[in-house]
Amino acid sequence: MAVEVVMPKLGMAMKEGTVSVWNKTVGDTVGKGEPIASVSSEKIEIDVESPAEGTVLQIAVPEGEGVPPGTVICYIGSPGENIASNTKLQETEGENVASSSSVQLEQTEPKKLARTARDRIKISPVARKMAEAGGLDIESMQGTGPGGRITKEDVQEALKQARSTQVNKVTKPEQISVEKVEESQQIPVTGIRKVIAERMYESLQKSAQLTINMKVDVSKLIALQKQTMETVQSQYDNKLTVTDFIARAVVLSLKQHEQMNSAYIENKIHLYKQVHLGMAVALERGLVVPVIRNADQSTLIDLSKSIKALAKKAREGQLSQDEMQGSTFTISNLGAYGVDHFTPVLNPPEAGILGVGAVYDTPVFVGETIEKRSILPLSLTFDHRVLDGAPAAAFLQTVKKLLENPITMLF
Amino acid sequence: MTRIMIIGGGPAGYVAAITAAQQGNEVTLIDQGPLGGTCLNEGCMPTKSLLESAEVFSQVKHAGEFGIRLPVGKIEVDWQSIQQRKNQIVSTLVQGIHYLMRKNKVKVINGKATFLTSQVVRVESEGIQQEVSADKIIVATGSEPVALPFAPFDGKWILHSGHAMLIQEAPESMVIIGGGVIGCEFASVYSRLGTKVTIIEMSCQLLPGEDEEVAAILHKQLEDDGVTVHTSTAVKELQKENKKVIFENEKGSKELYADLVLVSIGRKPRVQNLGLEHIGLDFANKGIFVNECMETNISNIYACGDVIGGIQLAHVAFHEGTVAALQACGEEAKVNYRAVPRCIYTSPEIASVGLTEKQAREQYGDIRVGVFPFAANGKALISGKQLGKVKILIEPEFGEIIGVSIVGVHATELIGQAAVMLHAEMTTDLLENFIAPHPTLSEAVHEAVLNAIGHAVHV
Repeated sequence: MAVEVVMPKLGMAMKEGTVSVWNKTVGDTVGKGEPIASVSSEKIEIDVESPAEGTVLQIAVPEGEGVPPGTVICYIGSPGENIASNTKLQETEGENVASSSSVQLEQTEPKKLARTARDRIKISPVARKMAEAGGLDIESMQGTGPGGRITKEDVQEALKQARSTQVNKVTKPEQISVEKVEESQQIPVTGIRKVIAERMYESLQKSAQLTINMKVDVSKLIALQKQTMETVQSQYDNKLTVTDFIARAVVLSLKQHEQMNSAYIENKIHLYKQVHLGMAVALERGLVVPVIRNADQSTLIDLSKSIKALAKKAREGQLSQDEMQGSTFTISNLGAYGVDHFTPVLNPPEAGILGVGAVYDTPVFVGETIEKRSILPLSLTFDHRVLDGAPAAAFLQTVKKLLENPITMLF
Repeated sequence: MTRIMIIGGGPAGYVAAITAAQQGNEVTLIDQGPLGGTCLNEGCMPTKSLLESAEVFSQVKHAGEFGIRLPVGKIEVDWQSIQQRKNQIVSTLVQGIHYLMRKNKVKVINGKATFLTSQVVRVESEGIQQEVSADKIIVATGSEPVALPFAPFDGKWILHSGHAMLIQEAPESMVIIGGGVIGCEFASVYSRLGTKVTIIEMSCQLLPGEDEEVAAILHKQLEDDGVTVHTSTAVKELQKENKKVIFENEKGSKELYADLVLVSIGRKPRVQNLGLEHIGLDFANKGIFVNECMETNISNIYACGDVIGGIQLAHVAFHEGTVAALQACGEEAKVNYRAVPRCIYTSPEIASVGLTEKQAREQYGDIRVGVFPFAANGKALISGKQLGKVKILIEPEFGEIIGVSIVGVHATELIGQAAVMLHAEMTTDLLENFIAPHPTLSEAVHEAVLNAIGHAVHV
C-alpha cells in the first residue's frame, strides 16, 4: 500500500501550509527520513522527511499552493502501485458509466458530479444566488449561520468588502506604467515572504506611525562591557553584547512607561503588564521575530542567554510557532549592516518598535574639551493613536539614560 | 462552575435557567409568583384556553351545517366550568415548569429581588429577607399592562388582561380600549360567548403595524360576530359612578355604557423597584438596554425577554433567554430576529412572519405578491372555514421569500412552515416542485408561492 505524506501542523494556530519546494518529482526513489519537500507556514519553514522508503507515486499539492494541515501532499510506494484514494475514485467513475450505459450524453455525467460537490457547501438558497450574481467564490467563504452555514448576511458583508477593496484599488495610483523589462524573474509570494508582505503593508495602512531619533553616548557602556567580559565569561559562560544591554534598557524603560508596552486593537488600547520582547532576526528567507517571554522577569545575564538561544534557533529554522508570537514590543537591529538612523515599521498590533543603528566613534564636546566618544543611533517608531510625541520621547530618554549609566542596569 | 442567578421565572427566565443548568452551572431562579410568568399565568395559555371554549361553542352552534341536529335551546355556556378548565390547564403547565426546574437542579427561591450590588440581590418574601449572590445575573422580570393616564386599573370596572382572565361570569357588555393583539383576542372570546363588545382604537386600523388587508378581514369578521369597532377614535373619560365611557372621533363625542372596561393599550417593561439605579445599570422606561448578545452595560449582568422592550412575544423571550444564558456561561451567542412568527388568536386566526406588504415595498420597491384564498382550498371547505387567505411576498431579484401573512383557520399552525422558509432564507424556485400534502390547509401556502411566480394550479 502506498504511504501518504501529509502537510504537518507546525503550530497550534496553523491554518495553512505551503509546499515551497519539492526536492523530488514523480518516479524518484526516496529513502526513509530523506527530506522530500520544504513546507512553510505563516512564520516557519521546515523540511518534510519521507516516512518510508520507496518511489514518489504522485504529487498531490504543487509548489506554492496552500493547503490545511493533514492534507495529503504526496504518495510514496512501489512503482506501478495503485494509490488507495485514486482507486476509489476510479471505481465510482466506473459505476457511473455502468449505470448510465444506455443513451446518456457524455456531458451530463461530469456536470452532475460537479454539482454534488458544490452542494456540500452549507449555504442558504438566497445567499447562493446572491453570491453567484456577485461573482463571489463561496468555497472560500466562512459562514456565521448554524454549523458554519453561509447566510444572506455573510454574502452581503462579503460583497460590501469586495466593493470597498475595489474602490481602494481604483483610488490607488497603480497606473504607474512600468516599462516592460525584457526578462524578469517572477517569484510567487508565499510562506514567510507573504506573511511579511501582508503584515508590513497592513501595519503602514492601519496605524498612525512615525519615528523619532536620538543619539546615545555608549562609551561608558562599551568600557563596562570590556571590564566585565572576563567575569561574565568565567562565571556564566556567556558574552554580553551591546544588544543585550539595549534589550535590558528597553525592558526596564517599558516598565516605567507602560503606554509604550501596549497595542491598539479594535478601538481599544491594551496596556500589557508583562514585557514580551520581540527581537527581529534577519534570515536568508526573510525576517523572523522570536519572542522572549516575560523579559521583565529576567536578569541581564538570563536575557542575554535567551536572546542568543532564540537567535540560534531562528537561524536553524527550529523556532516553534509559539516562540514567534505574543510580543508586546520589538527591537530591530540593523547596526551590523552599518545603518545609523532608520524608520522601523511597527509589528502590528504593537505600539512601538526600537530601531538600533551602528555604533560609531566621533569627537564630542565634553564640557570645554573635545573627546572621542562612541555614539549609538536609536530610532523609535510609535503609534500616534496610542501615545503622543512627548511621552514617546520620554521613553526614549529613559532608554538613553540607562545606556549612558549602564552600571544601573546590572542589578 | 459559575453561579448564575436569574430574576424572573417567565419564558425568558425559565428557559435561561434550564439552558444555564444544562451547561453545568449552579443556577438559582428568583420569582415572585407562580412560575411561568405572564405567558403561563395571565397571557398566552389562559387566553387560548378561553378561546378554545369560545371556539367549541361556536362550532356546536354551527353543528347543523355538518348534519348534526342539536336539541333546540339546550346549549348554554357554563362560565364556571370554562374557568375551571382554564385553571386546570394553567396549573398543569406550572407544575410542568416546577418539574423542569427540579430535573435540571435549578434552585427556585420565591420572593421579590432587589439589587444591592452587581453580584448580590436581596430577596424578600413575606417579611423574610435574605441575600443571594451570584457571579452572573440574568434579569428577566417581564412586563406589565400600561394603564390609561387618567384612569388607573381598579380591578372591578377598569380591568387589564390579567383581571379579564378571572371574570367569574361573562358580562353583558364590554368596552375594549386598544385594538391591538390583546384587545382583538379578548373581543373574539367574549363576543362569541355572548357579550356585546365594543373596540375603541386610536389608529386607523385594528392591529396597527400588521398588514392592512389582513386587519380588514378580521375587522369584518368581528363585526359579523356582533362587535362594534371604532377606529381613529380616542377615549376621553371613564366615568366609574355610572359606568360610562366617553370617546371622541371625527363624527363627534359619544358615550357608551359598559359593564366592564378592558384597557389593552400595551405593556411596559418591569424596571422599577429592582434597584437597577443603585448598581448603575443602563435602562429607561422602554426597557433595559442590551446589545445583540443580551449584555447590559455591566459586564456580569444580562437581560432578556419583555424587560428589554423590543418584541414582546413569549417565543422571542425563549430565544433571548437561551442567548443570555449561553453568554453568561461563556459561550458565544447572539439573537437572530430574522424570522419571528407573530400569532394572533382571534377568529379567524392571523399569523405572519417577516415583512408586511407595506414594509416590503418600502424596502425592495417592486416586489412580487402571491395570494391564495382558502375559498379555493378543499380542506377549508370541508371544515366550513373558508374565510381568509395566504399572502406571500417575494423579493424580485433572487426570489427570496421575505414575508408571509395568513389569515384563516389554523393560521397560527400554518405559519410554522413559512417561518422555516424565512429562517432558511429559501427562494421560490426551491418550492416550485415541492410536494404539499393533500388534502390539507397547508396546500394553500404552496399555492400562494406558485401564484407569485405565475404557476398556481387551483385558482
